[in-house]
Amino acid sequence: MNTLSLENVTVSRGAGPVISDVNLTVDPGTITALVGPNGAGKTSLLEAISGVIDASSGSILVDGEPIRKLSRVKRARLGIVHIEQGRAVFPSLTVLENIRLTAATAAKADEALAAFPELEKRRSSPSGLLSGGEQQMVVLARAFASEPRFLLIDEMSLGLAPVVFMRLLPMVQRFSEAGVGVLLVEQFTNLALGVASQALVVSSGKVSYQGDTATLLRSPGVLHGAYLGSTD
Amino acid sequence: MRPAKSKTVRRIALPIIVGVIAITLGYVLSAGLSGYFVYLGMSVVVAAIAILGLGIVTGSAGMIALCQLTFAAVGAWIVSGLNLISAPGGFIVWLVLGGLAAGVVGVLIGLPALRLRGVNLAVVTLGFAAAADVTLVQIQFPGSTNGVAVNRPDAFSDDRSFFFLSVIILVVCAVVVYFLQNSRWGSSWKSVAFSERGTASVGASVSTSKLTAFAVSATLGGLSGGLIAGQVGLAFASSFTPLQSLALYVLAIMSGAHLIDMAIFGGLLWVIVPELLKRWGVPQDWGFVIFGALGVQALTSGTNLGQAIRNLWWKRAAKRRPVDAYVGSLVESGPDLDTVVDSAAELSTTPVLVVENLSVTFGQVKALSKVNLTVYENSIMGLIGPNGAGKSTFVDAISGFLPQNEGTVVLDGRPLRGLAPTKRARLGLRRTFQQDRVPPSLTVDAYVRFVARRRVSAAEIAEVLEFFGCPPASTRLVSVDVGTRRLVEVAANVLSKPRVLLLDEPAAGLSHEEHVELGRRLLQAPARFGLAIVLIEHDLDLVRSVCQTLTVLDFGEVLASGPQAEVLTQPAVMKAYMGETEML
Amino acid sequence: MLQGALAGLAAGGLYAVLAVCLTLMARLVRVVNFSQAATGMFGGFVAVWFVSQQGWPIWAASIVGIVIGGALSAIIGWIIATWLSEADTSTRSAVTVGPLLLLISLSFIMFGNKPQPFQPIIAGTAFSIGGVFISQVTVATVLMALIVAVIARVVLTRTSVGTKLRALSERPTTAELLGIPSKPLSIAVWAMTGIVSALVIIIVAPSQSNDATSLSMLIVPAAAASLLGAFRRLDMAVIGGLLLGVLQGVVAQIDQVSFVRNFLPFLFIVGFLLWMQRKEVWDAAR
Repeated sequence: MNTLSLENVTVSRGAGPVISDVNLTVDPGTITALVGPNGAGKTSLLEAISGVIDASSGSILVDGEPIRKLSRVKRARLGIVHIEQGRAVFPSLTVLENIRLTAATAAKADEALAAFPELEKRRSSPSGLLSGGEQQMVVLARAFASEPRFLLIDEMSLGLAPVVFMRLLPMVQRFSEAGVGVLLVEQFTNLALGVASQALVVSSGKVSYQGDTATLLRSPGVLHGAYLGSTD
Repeated sequence: MRPAKSKTVRRIALPIIVGVIAITLGYVLSAGLSGYFVYLGMSVVVAAIAILGLGIVTGSAGMIALCQLTFAAVGAWIVSGLNLISAPGGFIVWLVLGGLAAGVVGVLIGLPALRLRGVNLAVVTLGFAAAADVTLVQIQFPGSTNGVAVNRPDAFSDDRSFFFLSVIILVVCAVVVYFLQNSRWGSSWKSVAFSERGTASVGASVSTSKLTAFAVSATLGGLSGGLIAGQVGLAFASSFTPLQSLALYVLAIMSGAHLIDMAIFGGLLWVIVPELLKRWGVPQDWGFVIFGALGVQALTSGTNLGQAIRNLWWKRAAKRRPVDAYVGSLVESGPDLDTVVDSAAELSTTPVLVVENLSVTFGQVKALSKVNLTVYENSIMGLIGPNGAGKSTFVDAISGFLPQNEGTVVLDGRPLRGLAPTKRARLGLRRTFQQDRVPPSLTVDAYVRFVARRRVSAAEIAEVLEFFGCPPASTRLVSVDVGTRRLVEVAANVLSKPRVLLLDEPAAGLSHEEHVELGRRLLQAPARFGLAIVLIEHDLDLVRSVCQTLTVLDFGEVLASGPQAEVLTQPAVMKAYMGETEML
Repeated sequence: MLQGALAGLAAGGLYAVLAVCLTLMARLVRVVNFSQAATGMFGGFVAVWFVSQQGWPIWAASIVGIVIGGALSAIIGWIIATWLSEADTSTRSAVTVGPLLLLISLSFIMFGNKPQPFQPIIAGTAFSIGGVFISQVTVATVLMALIVAVIARVVLTRTSVGTKLRALSERPTTAELLGIPSKPLSIAVWAMTGIVSALVIIIVAPSQSNDATSLSMLIVPAAAASLLGAFRRLDMAVIGGLLLGVLQGVVAQIDQVSFVRNFLPFLFIVGFLLWMQRKEVWDAAR
């Protein structure tokens, strides 16, 4: 029962649904990749789980309890951490202040910081002055310090050089090894599928594939179809 | 196009007919009401004129203006002053001068708050109201200390006829406001309230839009004050306090004063509420307490009485005539086009947009570095690349929204350095936005005419709307979904006959079939409308079927550029898209 | 000249305290609070009523008044945090015009529209410079402005609550997603600035024109002072307030230009806005 599960979730923006009828279970210690072209509704789905927006129908359960009525703050306290698109640092706060925001103890903050040697020497600089990759590390360290149970990651690679992004991906795996259930939205499909055990392919607001990544990788037509519309 | 023509006639005739009826009603009331009610009626009329002005600045243009009665004081002061020196022309001329003077003061007050958005205008206007209030108490209105009352015009000297005169002036103001609201100015007010970027990107000046709204509003305030001077004879500062201006603002917000009928209803409330309280023996200050509370309610809920009534009415009307609801889409409507892209077709060699060494830096992050590209006449160039590659930054920089860039952008041989977005749009460089920047308070017709910035016939509009699968011109944009709104945005910008049109993911939010259909329409656009298109798009199917040339951006740099077939086969391009090469 | 300047310092201190409150509100809860002075005025009037009608001691009445000022502010904050948590600064600020109107009118009903018989908490001369006497009220308000600004700064930079408040002001949604309770924290900011405004108004009101409108309209010079720090910098808000007070004091002394006095805050506002808009800036959101 230690799961985050979605039952027939539909999310709407304005007039119509952007993603509909999603059924999904995120188990502790697993990574689920959510891939598909832009505008497929991936971000909206994450936002509905963390409470940025409300789903228009269906239910979202944590440990079997419905959470759709709960505020963002309460969902965060249930252990759902949402890493938004772009680099969601608080620019005027120093690296350490950013991390301490969510850490239960100072020791936990130090532990999170220690996981990123690059950040150690910049701990007192305002995070707005850091490079893109370093800012994303601050965000990950902050998530680490908050000891999440479920981690929703939205396009971590946005605007980052692949080299930098490759440095960050192992961190996501560390989360799952520590027992965190990860839902990963990523535009670099292959990299995401490389670390995930489960995959969801969405296009035009519908789930077009759901299952384990190995099977998906053996049938490239599915991905092709989602990204390019037709299989020619 | 007979129906369109009759619609135009109705649009002009209807307000005039309503106006004539209103004036007749005013005459009947002036003759029939008791003397006391006639006097109250005058107060209703002057308040309605002031609220009519507030409706423009707060309701349509979305700014906070807290000194409407100070503008009224300016009008009253001018009328009293001209009366004292027995200036030629008589009351009506003085009144007009008073209104104009208030308009000029409004422009001067509005100037400092133009570029900064948000609450600055509120701070400026409250400051002006407070300062003017103390000053008015000190210097008094001309003639008030020695008891020289304002002379009403001979034909309207008694209360009844002066009431009738006020009604005529109100009707004239209301008709003028009606036409202004439906003109380019009115569209620019509603547009600037929704999005400043959207306004500038279609060649309308943000400052001018705000300033005209504020000036028209102040002028109406001045007219209202001039009438008050005529009504009471001797004007005093106590009629124009900041507190009353605040109450008038709140009243305008809660009644929805951008709608003319609601402005008049607001005027009624302004007089009836205190009058009723007086009759019930309740202190009249409760009136403002009620206004304050209702104002908070209206502002927190984002609704107002007038709009709520209208929505209810539209809903019922839509139920009665369900055909009115727009259900068409690109796939079902529009002419059937069977053209297939011929990427080998001869490309024009005349460059229309040349970008050289364009760089944009945000802090430490290089969003774009040394981007070079050339767009040729009547061609379609695709701009692709992964998320965060700098495509939208590119469009922002080219269209003038990021003045702190390096490099050169040349449109038709003319360097664009230093030009504001408005100016660039007027030179024929148009863009659309990824976010919805189409003001929902307009109709499709008003929006298209506003964006086109040229005289377009109803037939031409209907044709282009149909071509892009948009809803008919009479549709209200508020009832259209976001994906369709962006199609309307594309159609409207095409109608402006630009040299270059930058489309930032125009098909986001449409289904795949609609993507393809939009692509087929876009393919025809250069030849049909004489423009070049730069298309940012993720759907490679669409890109493939539409774009002759492609430029691939990755980490702010041009990864590849050239004819689409060459570009798409480069392994580096696919790698940028999918992360690794094995997949495709 | 010096006399005028020093006479204006008491008002300057008052402007500075209110400007610090306004700046904190603008930074931390994204509101230009037009009712900032009005809630303080109402709290002050309640205090006066307890003293003059109920015979309470001044200190007890003042405490009640200050609490009421804070509570009124908190209520407005609660309304805005509940219904307009995602709205832009303009909309949130516009709402505060309602309470401004409401509180002034309500005070007319409850306490009449005459200036109130405020009894000074602090009175008398503190010391004199060059033959000019400095009142204790002047010393108190100027000190209070400095203390409030310094405390606010220390809380914001050195405490975990302060870090959370800054995080909330920069990215409200992200902060909430991290479990930072935005609503209680922002209501606390409203309450605190409400308390400070009420306190300073109770101290200064006996030596000011103290009818409901004049006190509520103190928001205008306070906003002018806040603009000097662009509604962001506390130190500049304090300087702006003191400067404006001193300038008004000086201008009032010179007969030829004394009429400018009323327009000084307005001219301040216009001057700053013109200075701030030298460059065209495009807000990403709109």
